[in-house]
Amino acid sequence: MLKEAVSRQPSAISPTYAELRARRRRKDLLANTLAYGVLVLIALIMLYPFYWTLITSFEPTGDIYRAKLWPSGFSLRNYAEVFRGTTVPFWRLVLNSVIICTLGVTLTVTLAALAAYPLAKMRFPGRDLIFYAILVLMVLPNEAGLIVNYITTIKLGLLQQTNPVLDAVRQYSAVVLPGIASIVGLFLLRQAYLGVPIELIEAARIDGARELTIWRRIMLPLALPTIVAFAILEFVAYWNSFLWARIMLPDKELMPLSAGLLELSGTFSTNSRAVMAGAVLTILPILVIFAFGQRYFMKGIEGAVKG
Amino acid sequence: MTTTPRRESRRAGHVRGGQGARVTVRNTLIAYAFMLPFLALLVLYHTWPVFFGTYLAFTKYNIINPPEWVGLENFRVLAADSQFWSGLKNSLKYILVVPVIQFLSIAVAMLVNRPLRGIGFFRTAYYVPVVTSFAVVGLIWTWMYQQDGPVNAVLRALGLEARGSLLNNPVTALYAVMFVTLWKGIGYYMVLYLAGLQAIGRELEEAAVIDGATRWQVFVNVTLPGLRPTILVCSLLSTISAIKVFEEIYVMTQGGPAGSTYSALFFTFSRAFIDFQYGLAAAAGLIVAVISIFFGLINFKLTRGGKADA
Repeated sequence: MLKEAVSRQPSAISPTYAELRARRRRKDLLANTLAYGVLVLIALIMLYPFYWTLITSFEPTGDIYRAKLWPSGFSLRNYAEVFRGTTVPFWRLVLNSVIICTLGVTLTVTLAALAAYPLAKMRFPGRDLIFYAILVLMVLPNEAGLIVNYITTIKLGLLQQTNPVLDAVRQYSAVVLPGIASIVGLFLLRQAYLGVPIELIEAARIDGARELTIWRRIMLPLALPTIVAFAILEFVAYWNSFLWARIMLPDKELMPLSAGLLELSGTFSTNSRAVMAGAVLTILPILVIFAFGQRYFMKGIEGAVKG
Repeated sequence: MTTTPRRESRRAGHVRGGQGARVTVRNTLIAYAFMLPFLALLVLYHTWPVFFGTYLAFTKYNIINPPEWVGLENFRVLAADSQFWSGLKNSLKYILVVPVIQFLSIAVAMLVNRPLRGIGFFRTAYYVPVVTSFAVVGLIWTWMYQQDGPVNAVLRALGLEARGSLLNNPVTALYAVMFVTLWKGIGYYMVLYLAGLQAIGRELEEAAVIDGATRWQVFVNVTLPGLRPTILVCSLLSTISAIKVFEEIYVMTQGGPAGSTYSALFFTFSRAFIDFQYGLAAAAGLIVAVISIFFGLINFKLTRGGKADA
């Protein structure tokens, strides 16, 4: 704006203007350099712990906890030790995590996507009541959740041990079930559905489409970006969860990887480097997902807040 | 929260006789069928714990025998339990992390809101701790805090005395854990504040600059008031999670050394899952819940309900 105003009458002010611009540029350069300096410093604080863990996990021997920029040696011995699974059944834990994430994400997204549809696009008695009741539940702090859900899980017989296959199925459901009804997810998807033009839906209704068809053919495709964002957030949440599984599962074989990692650190205290290798392997899938879905991530979170 | 269903349907009502199909028994059944699986799990795992947990707080219960009503007995036991009090004190002390984390995340958000080259990298980098499990984060920082570890190396470089792990020292352990909470949380709140800043838009700030406002004046009079709704949400979230601090402690210190990091929820956890006193644990949980509600209300007051008055 300033530039336009000045350039309209160049000859009179141009020397001062050039000076001004030079000063401004110098000031900008200084401010930017300063900004980059601070940005890099914060990035170091945020990333160095990960980097340090990574390089230490590759070291065969040496002062394990020393601060360093490069590994003092390189070997895959620690990883081999984790893969061999002598202390915790590593591949089994990975399989558990994959099963838990697949089940958890699919069910959470599907149930929220189904439940949000009537709340956004249908009329029925009790709609507002249900919606506000759910909102209240979101705000209400639920400290007894862990305790009561544990009791519920036992009373449902999900921790019974009778035969291996059935035990596995029951214990996976015990891990997954409490997290499936996601209020935030319901909220996000309802918000996404509200943006779908009602004309589209009514046209389909007039054509005699059933509600389930409308949901599948119209709502789901149009809400896809939100669904993807939510699915990524849920994947991260299920992959990272450890507390519930650790408290509840009697069978260490059935723990997800994050919970198993703590088991590893407990039983493998003699070889912390192997635990570090395990930590690196636990983070890896999240980083891959994060790299691909970063944009969706941010959107998902912003959506969750703006509501 | 921008469109409540009522407003939505009223607006739609203007255009064409109401949102959605006619209200008939059949349509109502269809609507509830869509919500049934979600609502069933919601009631079982979210609503039921609120009520049953509150009831348990007034009982003696060990899962094997049915709950036995004991009135306020659990609360009397808690009041006399020094471990509970020190846990509560630590949980309240943990709130110290809230102003620091909010101040830093606003600063970082403003920093990464600048149109600089490569800013995407920094935003992503700051978010990496957020998406990492507490199981991993807790372990990494336990190692970082070791006697000869990187943290002590930095402290020594700064000319501070650094002997032993900060996590093994009863004076520093709680602050060491708080730092991890801070480190893990900044990226999360940064994203929220970034969204808030982008909602304010540049126009208003630029207009203020043209009117001759200094940077500080712009920040105080335009940016901060515009961020008020975000500040409410963020400080509410971080206060409540500070009072409920648990996972960091569970992974890093288990309440030690000498009970210096024993938090209220750690107390609840150990009463329930180590001592099997579910009633007592539920009572402690109920107290934590009431305290979080109280601090939530204070937050609401301090930020004037989060209404932007810009």
